[in-house]
Amino acid sequence: MRSNASSLDELLANPRLWRGREQAHAVPGLASGYAELDRHLPGGGWPQQALTEILIEQYGIGELQILMPALARLSNGNLEAGADPGWIAWVAPPLQPYPPALQQWNINLERMLIVRPRSDAEILWSAEQALTSGTCAAVLLWPDRLDDQAGRRLQLAAEKGASWAIAFRPLTARNEPSAAALRIELRSDEQGTHASILKNRGGRPAVIRGIF
Amino acid sequence: MARALRQQSLPLAEPAASKAPVTRAAGTPRLWFCVYLPELPLQACVRSSAASVVVEEQRGIHRVLLANEQAASAGIMPGQSANAALALLPDLKVVERSELREQQALEELATWLERFTSFVSIAGRNVLLLEIAGSLHLFGGLKKLRKRIAIELFEQGFSAALAIAPTPLGATWLARAGRRVCIRDKENLAQALRKLPLACLAWPPAVCEALNGVGVTTVGECLRLPRDGFARRFGVERLLQLDRAQGHLADPRSSWRAPQRFCSDYEMTEEQSDRELLLSLCHELLLRQERFLLTRQLGTQRLRFSFFHLKAPATELTLGCATAERVAACWQELLRLRFEQLTLPEAVIAIRLRGGATQAMQAESAHLEFTRKAGSTQRYSITQLAERLTARIGEQSVSGFETVAEHRPQLAWRPHNLLSGKAASTLVRLGRGLRRPLWMLPEPAVLSAEQGYPVHDGRRLMLLDGPERLETGWWDKDGITRDYYMAVNPAGMRLWIFRNRQREQAAWYLHGFFG
Repeated sequence: MRSNASSLDELLANPRLWRGREQAHAVPGLASGYAELDRHLPGGGWPQQALTEILIEQYGIGELQILMPALARLSNGNLEAGADPGWIAWVAPPLQPYPPALQQWNINLERMLIVRPRSDAEILWSAEQALTSGTCAAVLLWPDRLDDQAGRRLQLAAEKGASWAIAFRPLTARNEPSAAALRIELRSDEQGTHASILKNRGGRPAVIRGIF
Repeated sequence: MARALRQQSLPLAEPAASKAPVTRAAGTPRLWFCVYLPELPLQACVRSSAASVVVEEQRGIHRVLLANEQAASAGIMPGQSANAALALLPDLKVVERSELREQQALEELATWLERFTSFVSIAGRNVLLLEIAGSLHLFGGLKKLRKRIAIELFEQGFSAALAIAPTPLGATWLARAGRRVCIRDKENLAQALRKLPLACLAWPPAVCEALNGVGVTTVGECLRLPRDGFARRFGVERLLQLDRAQGHLADPRSSWRAPQRFCSDYEMTEEQSDRELLLSLCHELLLRQERFLLTRQLGTQRLRFSFFHLKAPATELTLGCATAERVAACWQELLRLRFEQLTLPEAVIAIRLRGGATQAMQAESAHLEFTRKAGSTQRYSITQLAERLTARIGEQSVSGFETVAEHRPQLAWRPHNLLSGKAASTLVRLGRGLRRPLWMLPEPAVLSAEQGYPVHDGRRLMLLDGPERLETGWWDKDGITRDYYMAVNPAGMRLWIFRNRQREQAAWYLHGFFG
């Protein structure tokens, strides 16, 4: 019995052993404003300094609403915690984000940066620039394609610039490999919007019905 | 007689050390630093170390004006005809004298010398005068300043004779005579001037010959001549010059005013199409501009590169920056982004960099170490980011928002130019009770109707909230009369739709998604 315990300790001390939960908790998450979602996310919120993928069938099913409380907090900053108001970059939004509505969600409009690149390569380039600049607290992007390599670059850029990358992708990307720390699929029906967490670094996949 | 003359005109006043000096200003005594460039015609035009001469046409014959060291060692001397010089050294490089080039070189030097003093004056074709009394303590004293200027002039390829004296003319004469002196008071100056030969005064040859004819060969001997007679025979101007040189008369000089905009060319000996090479030449020009702006404490927001070709018209490239900038590395980064997309119709023979209007640099206070966020990784500010993005993908593609006091939904906001330097105005806010969608369509889309109900994606919509009646804008063309509703489709999408109440366009429209 005793020998078993010591061999377990030995095993845990082995640097080759990777323990997911410890890694993920290194950076506390950014509270999403939706308690049910926060409960399932490691660190109690959106993973910061990482890439989040939101998979949706079509636009307008709540993919912005789920981000609004977190973006509002980032764009207004937090005086007590010493966080400056951060910029929110929108790279290639498919429709026009409507400023008066953003304002109703308490988003600081003075911190919005809208970038409309002309090609897919420029979308990724702009997003990478915004992420590594260290000025943008969050970068939302709507790429036409996002292969594994591009995803990895975004993930690295987010780490380097201590920013948060959010890529919106179609449901067809569901089975592609991804370097994102978090992948969430959003669906909506008459009962409301439902999220299923497909990939959750440091946490478990889950299904949350009726976030809002 | 002498007394009467003295009363007539002040300039002829007899020099007397006991009298109060006229030139002495209320403040500190002036000290003039003369930079005399005897070989400027050669050094302004010839940069190579190969044997070269500058020739000038004199009475129809090209004669050597100046020869560089290599040419001189082959026996070529000033005054020889160009053909004689070529006979001595067949590979001799012969350059025609260019007074324009000399003037440009002199102005560039004057601009450069402005870093040592605020008062630089161009006195004639090859003389620069610096007033340095106020600069001495900044540059560690007279000796250090002189050494530094001498070394840096040498590094730029100019050989100069330097002299320092309390009067500008005195300093000039001493420099022309090749006296490497530092004279700080007028008594010593008078002594030093007396020994100078007449040749260094640059008086017309006829005057010098006449003076030689009466046995006068030095300045001191000139000064011993009776003043009224001297003025009558050799001109009042000469007498005044002698007085000015000694400091008995004021000698006001005008300060050189450097141009406020930068413009510089880089001419290549042959056409180039190697893009990396062209970029490095552009960098060289940007460095020149940086030096230019640095001495003025200025920056610029715009600059333009022109790439000249032999046949095709010049290709132009304009760069813009959100805040005044002068650092070459910063411009180079922007240039690199734009240069990648630039197509040059043919090889380039010359590059010109023209700076835009200059403005004072805005001083930005740096963060104190302890107020900076721990682990902050800020590489550049938002304006720098916007600049980089604009440089690559175009000015129209990067913007911010601002809100407008307007009831019509599509006019309640407008894009805000982040590079304009003005803050976005976002004080206008909608009432709390009004619902607005996060996504807006660029133009409202017509929805079909089924028994009066709007239909989206083939399925009937359910109205959740509304109507919100907007009837406004009748005073201009875009007047609206609409009832807005929030609707939900069976897939759970919430839409912002309206029914147009104008009879001719009565229909359901989709205007946005609540997202």
